[in-house]
Amino acid sequence: MKSSDVILQTATKVVFFLIFLFAIHIFFAGHYTPGGGFVGGLLTASAIVLLLLAFDLKTVSRALPFNYTIMIAIGLLLALGTASASILFDVPFFTHAYDYFDLPLFGETSLHSAMLFDLGVYLVVVGATMNIILTIGSDD
Amino acid sequence: MMIFFWISLIVIVISMALFVYRLIKGPTAPDRVIALDAMGVTLISVVALLSLLVGTSFYLEIILLLAILSFIGTVAFSKFIEKGEIFDRGDSD
Amino acid sequence: MTNLLLFPILIPILTASVLLFFPKRIAAQRAVTVVGLVASIIAALFLLRTVMTDGVQAVTLGSWPAPFGISMVSDPLSVSLVLTSLLITLGVVVYSFRSIGEGREKYFYYPAILFMLTGINGSFTTGDIFNLFVFFEVLLLASYLLIVLGGEKRQLRESIKYILVNVVSSAFFVTTVAMLYSVVGSLNMADIAEKVTEIGQSGILTVIAVMLILVFGLKGAIFPLYFWLPGSYAAPPVPVLALFGALLTKVGVYAIIRTVTLLFPHDPGFTHELLMILAILTVIAGCIGALAYYDLKQIVIYNIIIAVGVILFGVAQMNMAGLEGAVFYLIHDMLIKAGLFMLIGVIIAITGTSNLREMGGLMKTYPGLAWTWLVAAFGLAGIPPLSGFFGKLLIVQGAFEADNLWGGIIILASSLIVLLSVIRIFIHAFWGEPMPVKGTSAGIYRGLLIPAVLVTALTVFYGVGTEWLRPLMWDAAEILHQPSIYIDAVLKE
Repeated sequence: MKSSDVILQTATKVVFFLIFLFAIHIFFAGHYTPGGGFVGGLLTASAIVLLLLAFDLKTVSRALPFNYTIMIAIGLLLALGTASASILFDVPFFTHAYDYFDLPLFGETSLHSAMLFDLGVYLVVVGATMNIILTIGSDD
Repeated sequence: MMIFFWISLIVIVISMALFVYRLIKGPTAPDRVIALDAMGVTLISVVALLSLLVGTSFYLEIILLLAILSFIGTVAFSKFIEKGEIFDRGDSD
Repeated sequence: MTNLLLFPILIPILTASVLLFFPKRIAAQRAVTVVGLVASIIAALFLLRTVMTDGVQAVTLGSWPAPFGISMVSDPLSVSLVLTSLLITLGVVVYSFRSIGEGREKYFYYPAILFMLTGINGSFTTGDIFNLFVFFEVLLLASYLLIVLGGEKRQLRESIKYILVNVVSSAFFVTTVAMLYSVVGSLNMADIAEKVTEIGQSGILTVIAVMLILVFGLKGAIFPLYFWLPGSYAAPPVPVLALFGALLTKVGVYAIIRTVTLLFPHDPGFTHELLMILAILTVIAGCIGALAYYDLKQIVIYNIIIAVGVILFGVAQMNMAGLEGAVFYLIHDMLIKAGLFMLIGVIIAITGTSNLREMGGLMKTYPGLAWTWLVAAFGLAGIPPLSGFFGKLLIVQGAFEADNLWGGIIILASSLIVLLSVIRIFIHAFWGEPMPVKGTSAGIYRGLLIPAVLVTALTVFYGVGTEWLRPLMWDAAEILHQPSIYIDAVLKE
């Protein structure tokens, strides 16, 4: 039965991107201010949950064709790989590197290797949260 | 001005306590859901007032976070009450 | 190599992450797991050599100075425990090929083992008490998966108990760490030890010490807190049981050892006395359990509890002989428990039951199994020159040196009961009239017996090679006896 979720579905199409953008903002804010990969990941997961509420499992899995287990694996490898790069330079594990770059549009920006680690955390959190929610939500 | 913020804060906290009463008392599930949603709104107001009182902008992101979470929570509850399930499987139609 | 001591933690978690990509391809899962474990063992051997030649290794993550960053410390005790865990895990993984079943292998069995190994090795290596909590959680989360994987009714029931107990104890752990931090103002174990020495071990610190002993005792199964262990450990299949029995309780024991030797060694009249009484009660309770059951799994599980008591009794003496004996016995017990559990797995695979009354006469049909069991049983009881002997000798010597005559005698008497409990299995299962058994194919029998024999052979070498291992154990015990070596190694930078 196709239900009359017109209001919810229309609102979701806008709100999903708002939440997602906010998640990205929180993710990048994480270096000096509250935020980071964990909160960003949770927010992204909540945006996907909103999609699931408004549409259905099949539609969402067509729109976002991710295997969340693989996403956890990629995130773990990314986080560990970033941290392990310090082994190549023979400095203590987790030592992070940063430098200032002149990027077009952004001006002088400081880029940190810790961001890559956080991206790994982000992927793990999104993957794990969605795995849990989908396992509980879909009763098969 | 500060006095005004303090008074608003107290009034909002009292209204929050009343919502808690409604949340516990019920008597029906929709009552509770609406009480929860309203509690989210009052919580947002509390955080906003606090950030004014303390004079920091760090709390503003919490407002957005709370708004998102309480919105999604309310939507999920409403859908559960209406349809009896949270996620459609999408293969029935 | 600054980071050498992290390799035995990193390689398993990297391997596990890679394994997540192809959960359904069993052959690849097995191959990658074995390769990862062998690589970790090689790294651990290098680390062992480095620790033996250059002394305690320490690295503080993120290039922070020592008390502020998270320190990872490898002293002879932790590196030998790490190496033992890796060897046992390799044995159990090979053993699983023939016993765990495809259903479990397809649902992240090997990644779970490797994640648990990450947590175990991390707990052995970390020098930061909050980080210890984190690694505890890593290994517990993986163990929740292992205990429930398969979803049999009994597993589901026991896993709820197991999770509840561990969640409560983790909550206590965090509370205790918070109390410790509020008193001492540091989380680095070496730094805490130094500060406790400076300010003296006041009443509140002794309370914290006892709380830590209880928290770790809940995981390590000491006397009043072992109630959850026999039921929960008997629920999962034998390879998981072997891993749990050999490794998990020992992590708790290791944490108690660090607590009473490094962090709070200043009030032995109270904390160590308490630990000793609990240890003796643990031994007695374990002995009663080991004799009371006719179930293979339960008998060996209660032997874990006896061993925990014996080790902690050695630690509580706080003299060189007792500590060295405890270290010796700790590693012996990890190896021998893995071997025993793998052997009872073979027996259960052959007879189809774990009830002693329903088996008999296996000696005629499976002589290899019988003799391996006898060697393992003698090793467990500590008949010279097998592995249990020297550790127990040193522990009893330590007890006599510390004037704990009765404690030493109880430990000695417990050896007899241990011997009786395992020989009872030998008599009932291998002697007597042959019972009709379910039997198993020769391939599975070999696949199960070979890793079990290899682990048992390892314990024999451990016993015979005591002379070569003595310097390592001596170093380990010396650091436990004089924590200043450990503290200096961490805080020197």
